[in-house]
Amino acid sequence: MLRFLGQRAAMGLLTIFVTTIAVTLLIHLVPGDPVEIMYAQSQGTTPEQIEAMRSSLGLDQPIPVQYLHFVGRLLQGDLGVTIRGQQSVAQLLLQRLPNTLALAALAMAIATLIGMPLGFLAAYKRGTLLDGVLMVTAIAGISIPHFWLGLLLLFWLAVDLGILPVAGSGPLNIVLPALTLGLSNAAIVARMTRSAMIDVMSQDFIRTAHAKGLPKSRVLRRHVLRAGLVPVVTVMGLQFAFMMGGAIVVENIFAWNGIGRLALEAIFQRDYPVIQGFILVFATTVVVVMLALDAVYALLDPRIRRS
Amino acid sequence: MPMRTRLGSALLALVAGTAIPATASAGDIVWARYGDIDTLDPHRATSTLSLQVWSLIYDTLLATDKDGKPVPNLAESWEASPDGTEYTFKLHEGAVCHDGTPLDANDVKYTVDRAFDETNPSVTKASWGPIEKVEVVDPTTVKFTLEKPFVALIPFLADSFSSIICNSNEGKDGFGTSVAIGSGPWKFASWTKGDQIVLEKNPDYKNFGKLADNPGAPYEDRLLITTVPEPQARLAGLKTGAIDVAEPPLDDVAMLKESGDLDVVTAENTGQNVFFEFAVHRPPFDDVRARQAVAYATDPEAAISLIYGDLSMPEQCPISRGVFGNDQEFCAKHRPQYDPEKATELLGEMGYAPDKPLEVNLLVWTGGKRDKLAEVFQAQLAAVGIKADIQMMDIGTMNARVRQENENPEGKGSMDMMTWSWYDPDILYALWHSPGAYRGYTSPELDAMLEKTRVLTDQDERRKAVEDVMAHLLEKAIHVPLYTPGWEWVFAVRPEVEGFKVAPFVYPIFSDVKIADKD
Repeated sequence: MLRFLGQRAAMGLLTIFVTTIAVTLLIHLVPGDPVEIMYAQSQGTTPEQIEAMRSSLGLDQPIPVQYLHFVGRLLQGDLGVTIRGQQSVAQLLLQRLPNTLALAALAMAIATLIGMPLGFLAAYKRGTLLDGVLMVTAIAGISIPHFWLGLLLLFWLAVDLGILPVAGSGPLNIVLPALTLGLSNAAIVARMTRSAMIDVMSQDFIRTAHAKGLPKSRVLRRHVLRAGLVPVVTVMGLQFAFMMGGAIVVENIFAWNGIGRLALEAIFQRDYPVIQGFILVFATTVVVVMLALDAVYALLDPRIRRS
Repeated sequence: MPMRTRLGSALLALVAGTAIPATASAGDIVWARYGDIDTLDPHRATSTLSLQVWSLIYDTLLATDKDGKPVPNLAESWEASPDGTEYTFKLHEGAVCHDGTPLDANDVKYTVDRAFDETNPSVTKASWGPIEKVEVVDPTTVKFTLEKPFVALIPFLADSFSSIICNSNEGKDGFGTSVAIGSGPWKFASWTKGDQIVLEKNPDYKNFGKLADNPGAPYEDRLLITTVPEPQARLAGLKTGAIDVAEPPLDDVAMLKESGDLDVVTAENTGQNVFFEFAVHRPPFDDVRARQAVAYATDPEAAISLIYGDLSMPEQCPISRGVFGNDQEFCAKHRPQYDPEKATELLGEMGYAPDKPLEVNLLVWTGGKRDKLAEVFQAQLAAVGIKADIQMMDIGTMNARVRQENENPEGKGSMDMMTWSWYDPDILYALWHSPGAYRGYTSPELDAMLEKTRVLTDQDERRKAVEDVMAHLLEKAIHVPLYTPGWEWVFAVRPEVEGFKVAPFVYPIFSDVKIADKD
């Protein structure tokens, strides 16, 4: 078990490392220079000053050197300062990460609470009208883009009914973005649960369980659910990563002050230290969540921890 | 299931730990914008979003009247020496910084010295001009000495780029993020980056010259400046009353005006200029005829009224209304006016015909319905045999692309719909004086003309020099003006909010705002 988790952790570190390199290269492929963007559209800075600023930020150096500087600083626990406004990147990220984690966790809870029972129900009632209706709804749910669903919910719940706040960061403000993110993911969870359960239900040991006379509810709870959950949990790990990404769009709609919005702004401003910091934190979060799920996975399925 | 319970409690802890910022209450004005400030330090950023907030916290030596002309403010009068190298400002008595210290000549000197700091000068140091030194003559008199004349100094001192920073900020930790002591109508209370800025009214404020009817402190207690990037969410907030003032989605403006649910205020004299420019170092736009053909082929008036209705208007000059030297009649005489036949003729001379169209790229900055506008221009160009391929991109990418296109001696013809704003014709110096903001068109003749606009202290002589520059740019179709204003200039206002106005160069004013009965 420990060896298994150790291997996974090593893989995770490698993933983070490769991601930071890829992102450093990618952001430099996008045309545009942070210093120029900062001063674009209005005059006031001389070309010499722009050059001086660029060299003080180290932007005039080759990309591999810039990356080494980034890693060097990182090993000292320093993520640098933003190009715009010169604020601590670490502080900015730490301020905003809890908001995104709360959003993703609540959305995950919504997706699970809605998606799992419905998926299970659809599997149990497989081939019936109910199954059809549920799965068509699920496909619709997967297909609706976040921003569209978000705006619909916004105008329905906040403007027409007036029961939820529109945008910002009060305690109730998390509900609309979480609902948006949660509902579209509930559809995915439902579909995954359904197919995993159907898969398990058709296996020999279930037939055996039925044949040896176990009550139906006990078969479903003890055997089907337990075995069927393993693939669902794996997918939920991927879902969580996916949700962190989806949070970028949703946070922007509802002005939820999370890390995704910070990243979006940073990309438009080519604020490299923020983008690098964001990717690092984002990748780490995803890796940690995956790792935690691997542990859950191993707990649920003895074959994995023994291998 | 234990897993679910653990998830649930972790979730609760997270939600509880999330910061709960100040929420709006009576006496609060809530102003929502698409983005946040970069910093509260007026020497560290140049974005309009930042400038608008500085203008509320800090005061300036001069201010602008509704036409964009510099007028006295903290300085009740000023004098320039005949050779234009010395400016003496006489300050009003009774201006007070937010920490209670009086604002005097020492604060002015502190601000300028800070902008010219050896190790960390202001990012807009160059706009102050060649200032050699600033002397405190007495507490209400301050003298600027320049190496050589620089007439753009006066309009600069009326803009928030030159915000007077009280010297009590010196050495304060967190200046620019958690500390900002000014002397403007609103006191800085707090800033949560990406979320909101809280300002409180400055009860000691005296309005010496800013464009507000209110002679003193603002009427409302607090001003909350929040960031809401999604236009539809801002509209939703305006509808529910969570937001008092915000830029609405442009597509909904006509409907809002008609329904009367919200008032619509548009900024005038924004200084914003949207124009066509070209990659002039390679065919086809190295040929003046190709550039003129574009100018003759396009009808900004028709395009704008189609896309923006009466929210924006055609602009004939390379510097927009509100900026010194702007003269619609003069510019109209020099700018090629809509004449598709003439365009076809010029293209014919160059060997292009309907069956052999001129193919170019048209780069356009995303947002503000500019994609729709570009399609109208595309259709107008197509009518004379110019096939323009629209490429939408964010402003950062576009700035880089335009420069690349100018530096690239080969490739498809390239033109772009560029957008700049400034409060003085000195903008033309930044754009077109060698080496040029985007390494585009330059010429020794134009350089000489631009240099003159910087040093002539006589208003009439300077106006003439600016006109020479504009005529040059327009006749050669280097800078083809299209319209003004062009971005973030429309404000939707709740009906119970009275007295909201926008000063020239898009500075919203909240000193006069009274909220009738907010629920």
